[in-house]
Amino acid sequence: MRVSRSRLGALGSAVLSILAGGVVFAAASAAHAAGAPIVVGATVSETGPLAADAVFQLKGEALGVAVANAHGGWLGRKVLLKYYDDKSSPGTAVRLYQRLITEDKVNLLLGPYSSLVTIGIAPLINKYKMATIEPGASVPTIYVKGNKWNIQGIASSTTYLKQLLPLAHKAGANKVALVGLESAFTLACLDARVAQAKQLGMKVVYRTTYALPMPDFSPIALAIKNAHPDVVLGCTYYPDAVGIARALHQQGFAPKYFGETVGPVEPAFIKALGPLANRILSNTSWWHNYKTPGNKAFIAAFTKKFGIAPDYHAAVGYSGIEVLGAAVKATHSLNQAKLRAYILSHTVPTIQGPFKVSRYGLMLGASQEMVQIQNGVLKLMTPPSLAEGKVLVPYTGS
Amino acid sequence: MLLLQLLVNGILLGGLYVLIAQSLNLIFGVMGIVNLAHGGFIVLAGLFTYWFATTSGLSPLFVLPLAFVAMGLAGALIERFLVEPLMLRERRADLASLMLTFGLSFVLVQLALNLWGSDFVSVPYLQSSYRFRGLNFDAALSISGVFAAVISASLYVWLNYTLSGKSLLAASQSPTGALSCGIDVGRVRMVAFGIGVGLAAAAGVLVIVVLALAPQSANDFTLLAFVIIALGGLGNYLGVVAASLLLGLAQSVAGYFWGGNAEYVLPYLLLLLVMVARPQRFRQSP
Repeated sequence: MRVSRSRLGALGSAVLSILAGGVVFAAASAAHAAGAPIVVGATVSETGPLAADAVFQLKGEALGVAVANAHGGWLGRKVLLKYYDDKSSPGTAVRLYQRLITEDKVNLLLGPYSSLVTIGIAPLINKYKMATIEPGASVPTIYVKGNKWNIQGIASSTTYLKQLLPLAHKAGANKVALVGLESAFTLACLDARVAQAKQLGMKVVYRTTYALPMPDFSPIALAIKNAHPDVVLGCTYYPDAVGIARALHQQGFAPKYFGETVGPVEPAFIKALGPLANRILSNTSWWHNYKTPGNKAFIAAFTKKFGIAPDYHAAVGYSGIEVLGAAVKATHSLNQAKLRAYILSHTVPTIQGPFKVSRYGLMLGASQEMVQIQNGVLKLMTPPSLAEGKVLVPYTGS
Repeated sequence: MLLLQLLVNGILLGGLYVLIAQSLNLIFGVMGIVNLAHGGFIVLAGLFTYWFATTSGLSPLFVLPLAFVAMGLAGALIERFLVEPLMLRERRADLASLMLTFGLSFVLVQLALNLWGSDFVSVPYLQSSYRFRGLNFDAALSISGVFAAVISASLYVWLNYTLSGKSLLAASQSPTGALSCGIDVGRVRMVAFGIGVGLAAAAGVLVIVVLALAPQSANDFTLLAFVIIALGGLGNYLGVVAASLLLGLAQSVAGYFWGGNAEYVLPYLLLLLVMVARPQRFRQSP
């Protein structure tokens, strides 16, 4: 087939025009990408039964992003946190993460609050291969081979109140009552503590689970009272932590040792229970006296920005942003595979301690330490090197 | 002694249920509509009480008359300007009112969220218990139970022994008949809705000293109240008192012997059983 010169010229011009157009488009895109913020997507339970703790995680993440921007952002770009309220519902969270990934097209993801909600979104995270730090999901069974894109950002649920039973056992306590909410985290916590009690040779005299909303904890409190335990340990979130403490008191029972996992560290808990909160034991994976890099600045900035002191949920949210930032800067990339490989193979210093995870993303660095409310103030009880006092017993319930 | 304690706990819990359910029952009994905003009124009053008690340092019970009157007036206005026009205009008024109150519940919850945030809160008040012959009487539930008994008795006396109350009953049984006797049915409905909302507010004031509450708890209260009035007989005031007490008692026993999950699921299980065994119960009583 013969093609005339003029036609060849025209074709060449067209190809050149397309190529030139492509270059211009690519250049424009690069300029746009360079100027566009890096968007970190997340959902947080701003409403629903998990809200009391979850909003602290959100505040920590928001502060992390503000601090990152104050230091010039990542890869020369601003960082933006785009989040939605998942209403403490895994179903809602799945829809919202789908929106974040496919419609908002966020560059990076952070997980929601709680293991319950995280279990809901885990398949989606793996489907879209997004390296996602989970600041609020402590259940270790999430971080297995099949869920390789989920990376734990908080201490394992098996470490919550792990110091309480050995402490009580050492002091001669033998009978334990264990209660827990029907939820992934609390059930994992409950199983771990039951196993620990058996390992220590302690007798589990009462064990039950319940669902929220629970109208009245007095039947459970009465059953606990009649089982005569030395230790009452609740694997709780905030609303049930308040309900159980109040019901035990109203049934006229105060165990020698009383611990609840999530709830007592929130200021609202002490406000809601007043003197009943005194001597309740709980846990934290971060504390204000941790000698970790940036911890003092974090506390000052958080208190200034939100007018309240941070808790460990705020610290894990903040740490999640710290780790994402470190990975983006080290890899000079937003490539999910590169980010995941970096996070899994490096120890990143954060305010809650060294962020180190296993090959399947299971947290190895952080651990839960024990705190106790003493005269309306939370004090760190473990580790001994950082303890702010000694555990006071018995729990008086007044 | 254990059974007596379970009985006491159950009856006290039932007393709170009476208060939560009776207001929904009154509105249903007179107007034939299920007020899906019921829980919204409870949490709004409860959270206002929390705010009042924590900022003033005064007893939350001071809010009770204020909440009853203020929310009652608000309820009357809602009935006059939102519900009543719908009842007169729409052919399927029952369905339209469901949609209206459903929408209203969102407005109330959002209002509470904007005013007080999403945290669960409760007032550290009456956290002790009264002891009598070895039995513990939860102070907060005891006070709630007393108020519930007074309010329910007043409601019963008013409905059955006063002219205005009888007008209300007449309007609920036969609006046309009531109209022919010179009863202003529109006004009666406004009063019923106002009192119903006022009672829901009173329940909210008492609930906040018993339970931790958040705006998003609204639907839980609506659902619980609906289950109770369905068990007691829709529009049946004494039936609702009996159902509340029995449910409280059954949950107390179930929770003790079979744990928290049994206590939680029991109301819905009972509702299912009654729906199967006595379907006629779900017709509005004449």
